[in-house]
Amino acid sequence: MTVSLRPKTLTPGPSPTRTPARPGEGKLPALRQAVAALALAGWVLLAGCGREEPEGGAGAEPQGPVVVYSSVDDVFARPVAQRFQEETGIEVRLVPDTEETKSTGLLNRLIAEKERPQADVFWSGDPVRAAVLKRRGLSASYRSPAATGLPPRFSDPEGHWTGFSARARVLIYNREKVPEEQAPDSIFDLVEPRFRGQACIANPLFGTTSMHAAALFAALGEQRARQLFEDFTANGGRIVSSNGEVRRRVANGECTVGITDTDDANVARLEGKPVGIVFPDADGIGTLIIPNAAVLIAGAPHPEAGRRFIDFLLAPETEKALAASEAAQMPVRPGLPPPAGLPALAGLKAMEVDYGGLAALLEELSRGFLKEWVDRNSG
Amino acid sequence: MNPLALERPSRWRAFGVAGVFALALLPSFPLLREAASGQRGLGTFPATLWQSFGLATASAALGFAAGLPLGVTAALYSFPGRRALLALASLPLLVPSLLWAVGWSALLARVAPGPLPGAAACVVVFATTAIPLVLLTAWASTAALGAGQVEAARLAGGEAVLVRSACRHAAVPALLAAGLAGVLVLSDPAPGQIFGQRTAAAEILVSFAALFDFGLAARQGLALAALVLVLAAPLAAVAAPRLAAAVLPRAIRPLRPVWHREMAALAAGGLLVFVGIGVAAPLAGLALPALRGTALARAGSEVVETLGNTAIYGLGAGALAAVLGLLLAALAGRSSRLRTAVLALSFLLLALPSALPSLGLLRWSGEVPAALAPVFHSRFTVCVALGLRFLPVATLLALRGWASTSPTWAWAAELHGVSLGRYLARVLAPRLAPAVATGLVLVGLLSAADVGTVLLLHPPGQRSLPLAIFTVMANAPEALVASLCLLYVVGAGALLAALPWLAGRRL
Repeated sequence: MTVSLRPKTLTPGPSPTRTPARPGEGKLPALRQAVAALALAGWVLLAGCGREEPEGGAGAEPQGPVVVYSSVDDVFARPVAQRFQEETGIEVRLVPDTEETKSTGLLNRLIAEKERPQADVFWSGDPVRAAVLKRRGLSASYRSPAATGLPPRFSDPEGHWTGFSARARVLIYNREKVPEEQAPDSIFDLVEPRFRGQACIANPLFGTTSMHAAALFAALGEQRARQLFEDFTANGGRIVSSNGEVRRRVANGECTVGITDTDDANVARLEGKPVGIVFPDADGIGTLIIPNAAVLIAGAPHPEAGRRFIDFLLAPETEKALAASEAAQMPVRPGLPPPAGLPALAGLKAMEVDYGGLAALLEELSRGFLKEWVDRNSG
Repeated sequence: MNPLALERPSRWRAFGVAGVFALALLPSFPLLREAASGQRGLGTFPATLWQSFGLATASAALGFAAGLPLGVTAALYSFPGRRALLALASLPLLVPSLLWAVGWSALLARVAPGPLPGAAACVVVFATTAIPLVLLTAWASTAALGAGQVEAARLAGGEAVLVRSACRHAAVPALLAAGLAGVLVLSDPAPGQIFGQRTAAAEILVSFAALFDFGLAARQGLALAALVLVLAAPLAAVAAPRLAAAVLPRAIRPLRPVWHREMAALAAGGLLVFVGIGVAAPLAGLALPALRGTALARAGSEVVETLGNTAIYGLGAGALAAVLGLLLAALAGRSSRLRTAVLALSFLLLALPSALPSLGLLRWSGEVPAALAPVFHSRFTVCVALGLRFLPVATLLALRGWASTSPTWAWAAELHGVSLGRYLARVLAPRLAPAVATGLVLVGLLSAADVGTVLLLHPPGQRSLPLAIFTVMANAPEALVASLCLLYVVGAGALLAALPWLAGRRL
């Protein structure tokens, strides 16, 4: 026997006798709840509109607030912003981003806001993003008096971005799975048979890994760099979503070696994970150093406050504070103490890189080889 | 104007529907314009889109196969802890898929280290969202049956026949929900990125975030939306008449779930298995580090700092979507063609990448007169963008709510000389209130969980909680991230528990 619960077959058309529910009966509490919720939401919508006062004219004492877009990890950027606020009384409105691969990212916001910028300062975690802003005409030149002592090789010659505290691209390995004597000391070790199927890197289309890829193409030449990437996958190397993921996988032994940034490696160290850190290629092309970059946005709504914030970022005290924090950023200014457990920048062999030039190379690689390589080796 | 105006067919209805959808698409216009004026070509995107389509189909099929019987049996049979289990099963809808993917990844790394098969892992995460969506739809559809119908089916063939018949009844709305889940899969980049699986949404993200090519991203988004439209139109055509039919069973004696030992055990067991695998397992992956750390206090202060904005974004978006959804339902009225069009366009709207309207709004903010710019840079705009993004969810609920009203009420009101205002206030509003309130809460929760739109549009210093989690995820201590995630899930669970109250206990 076939039974159907379709209302068409079981229930005839509506008739007054079969409609016991008189419209509205017993529904007033629900109505009140809905009206109350809508009224609350309406109030919330109105409360959401705000208007902000523009800064005084040129040369005036900065009133603030200063709007800072930051691609530096929020846990590291926020304490610096708070200290600036305490010292100057200028309110910092921080808009955080991440180098992760899961969002459209703040740089796109800056590009989309080009006609009427909202940010005063872009605190970039790497100079390539800063160089992209310069290429697109979004940055203004500012030579901060606080930049005294900062090595010029880490800054834009025209003053569109100024480099300070740096991270480095390091090899990490799981100390429980890789004996000390077999620890890698070069990025070329990742393609060695002893690490077959055990190495991982973050997606080279994003973040500092993309910058590292571009730097390798610049340092090694196209042919050798391509070969390195091909050998990596031929050796069973894996692409994961982020540098943090590389750290996590190496720390728990899912991968035994990987490439990440010093701040990620330091977090693993602070958490007591069995992770060893190596600054690679001391005898070869050197380690890629990634300074932070402070950028004043062209047409910024609060330029004076923005300049004050950049001055604060570039001061030796900020470099010291970032070195002492969990970020373990290495001061680029000579003579300042390095982070605990990490060497001073002067003691490292740094990869020779034209940071400004990497932006154009990276855009080209992202459309070409890197995109194709990632497509071929994922999913 | 009298109450009958709400029921009469008219050309202005189609114009009205077109107007609301034009409004919803307006924020995307600057980027769509760029897509049309820039270079042509999609690169390797079609192949990736096809691959993503496979993932979406698999996830939707899994959602349909598991969600339909779970929802139907949960509606037909009572068992201890039924409401709690249903609330727990709904949690995956309200938490960003990113967190479930991270949870699974962390858990699998602990219990079974080794390379994860990306496609399989993605399907598991996506199905975690698809199953509750289908489950809740099937449950609501079955719960709308009349007690008399259910008793007749039971008398005719016993429990097996009843469940089979109820499944047949709930199949179309459940299919619609599975389709909706499939669309959400197509536009969600996070799990693919985490598990190293190529997806269309991730490719669009690359165009935005690695290439800074808004035109290419917009073209890819349009290609994705076109595919969704082609697939959604037949589904919408099948589902639209059923939305109208929903009025009849609701006007008779309502169904009460009954105790039946074997069937209750099956229903409860099924829900328990899903909650165990789909919710508890990834949650364990997220939460394990929290047990070892002492970051709850720090996480608590983050929650306190961001809670106000999270609520504003959620409530504002929910209110806007609820009002516009109701307007769309009223405009579609009793016309099957218009309902089909509304459903298909809703799918299309949901399929567009969220970055398109967000970046479009930022472009608008640079082009409008200076006096209007602060509005574009306020929390109001975040609410508008989120409300329009999740408008399809509120629209579906409003369509169903509208279908539960009878045209004879308007005739009766007209006959007795009742004014339109009085008819709206005393007759329609109470009847539609549960659907509107449910839409508001659901859109509110989905908006509160959003990361992409809030990241691009939030005014400086006005973060939401999910955004805070997202931005500390990479480098904060595991214990802090886990504590934040746990607090978020607990908060979402508490709001879910409040849902029956807001919906007048009709769900």
